[in-house]
Amino acid sequence: MRHGTVTKVLLYAALALVLLWTVVPLVWMVLSSFKSPNDLLATTPSLFFTPTLEHYGALFQSGLWGYVQNSLLAAGISTIIAVTLGCLAGYGLSRAHFRGKDHVAFWIISTRMAPIAAVILPLFILFRYAGLLDSTLGLIIAYLTFNLPFAIWIMNAFFADLPPSLEEAAMVEGATRFEAFWRIALPLTAPGIVTTAILCLVFSWNDYAFAVTFAGPDSQTLPIAASQLNTQTGLNWGQLTAIGTIVVAPMILVGLAVRRYLVKGLTLGAVTGE
Amino acid sequence: MASNTTEKGGGRRGISLETKMLLPALVLLAVLSLFPFVYIIFMSFNTVSLIGGISFEWTGMENWTRLFTDSVVLGSWARSAIYFIATVGIEMVLGVGIALLLNEIIAGRYAALSLILMPMFVAPVIVGLLGRFLTDSTYGLYAYFLNATGLYTQDILGTPGSALLAVILMDVWEWTPLITLIVLAGLSSVPVSVLEAANIDGANYWQRLRHMVWPSIAGVVIVALLIRSMDAIRYFDIIFVTTNGGPGNATKIIPIRLYETAFRFFDLGYAAAIGLGMLAFSIIVANLFMRILKNRGLAK
Repeated sequence: MRHGTVTKVLLYAALALVLLWTVVPLVWMVLSSFKSPNDLLATTPSLFFTPTLEHYGALFQSGLWGYVQNSLLAAGISTIIAVTLGCLAGYGLSRAHFRGKDHVAFWIISTRMAPIAAVILPLFILFRYAGLLDSTLGLIIAYLTFNLPFAIWIMNAFFADLPPSLEEAAMVEGATRFEAFWRIALPLTAPGIVTTAILCLVFSWNDYAFAVTFAGPDSQTLPIAASQLNTQTGLNWGQLTAIGTIVVAPMILVGLAVRRYLVKGLTLGAVTGE
Repeated sequence: MASNTTEKGGGRRGISLETKMLLPALVLLAVLSLFPFVYIIFMSFNTVSLIGGISFEWTGMENWTRLFTDSVVLGSWARSAIYFIATVGIEMVLGVGIALLLNEIIAGRYAALSLILMPMFVAPVIVGLLGRFLTDSTYGLYAYFLNATGLYTQDILGTPGSALLAVILMDVWEWTPLITLIVLAGLSSVPVSVLEAANIDGANYWQRLRHMVWPSIAGVVIVALLIRSMDAIRYFDIIFVTTNGGPGNATKIIPIRLYETAFRFFDLGYAAAIGLGMLAFSIIVANLFMRILKNRGLAK
């Protein structure tokens, strides 16, 4: 709709307020990570300061790279397994006909919705029996509890949008059932696969609850490193904002990259979007 | 058909390929979910001890009777309900409002949307830690402004009422964008020509909103509400790193209580019973979600 000048001014003023609310904490975090301790601890907040990289330097000197590796390994491998099995199962779910399919679908989605604190409890005991505490493998398995049902559901939503006639046509041409999936359906859902992979990566990269319970000295991830800065000798806001920037920046970038498909992904396909 | 085993319906001649493709994921998911599920039920009837390996002592309904009579845990349920209604409620109102606002904005809509979406990708633990930084009574930006304007001069996370409000607002900051995104997608399905016709006929903005826009986005708004409800009971990271349930019990919602019962007091059997209570709630929401999917013809 077109608007008069007064309405326009009001609309953009409201938008400015919303943007302030959203962006100020993030901008403040990034700015603070470049402030010297003196500027950081000034009781009057200031936008003007001489930038320094000392907090980032200190983080990498104190072994941040190890945490980055643990995070990348745990989140990356869990994502690869979830997306691979999720593609197969999502396709299967969208094309198969068998009795009780609704119940299977409900069961899959209900595992995704289980409260994290309630999932952690039995997993903790089972991991203790299996010797999986303080191991990256344990974290990968823990992340699969939410990534796998999620990947199945979104891939199901993306495959359900493809008309089955495409694969049928390929089979008439002589392709086998699996070739029809592999050569026709799978490439057509490439945007869905990328979206699924990125969201699985974001969920597991951002996880704190599982990592704080299951990880030990050998498997701690970046969010754990961040929270530890807060409890050791006082509160090191410089390093904390620096590590915050390191954790957050890559996820915002990849998240915005799949913005077009986010609605479908985050609603498990329940809202189709544009 | 080229192959004689690819008939629709699979059926008589063994399992179809489509069903086989489901199997690896389902087997893994069963190991990851059914096994722990049965295990947590078993735990809830026992006193579980971690000292010297793991030992179980069958105590029957003891944990369960405790669950319904323990005033401390009942208090946590009540606080959870307040936290849940406040976060989800504020997020719905703000999210729908911001979506309607963006829908009216032509120049810069997509740039603004990108900025608005950013909080969703921030790790909740960072939201919590950043929240602590901003509300720190000595160095915090937000605390400084509240103090300077005289709006609030006490320690934000150290005072029960403002601590609860602060953690609620942190959750609102992170998840309002999700509602905005979903509702905005719903708004794009409202036919523009009908709106313009109504405009020419003299319908004002509120009339159009009530009679034309709202009916076409109501379904999407309910989906957004359910998605957010499921996650609101799942997550606890923000509170875990900001107040850890304090001051006193002011922010001790039920997931925090469960975690503390299990991993601070090591009362694992009782924690299992609390966890099953939470699970019951999320299954109810999941059921509603599936029913709405079906009514909208989305789950086949």
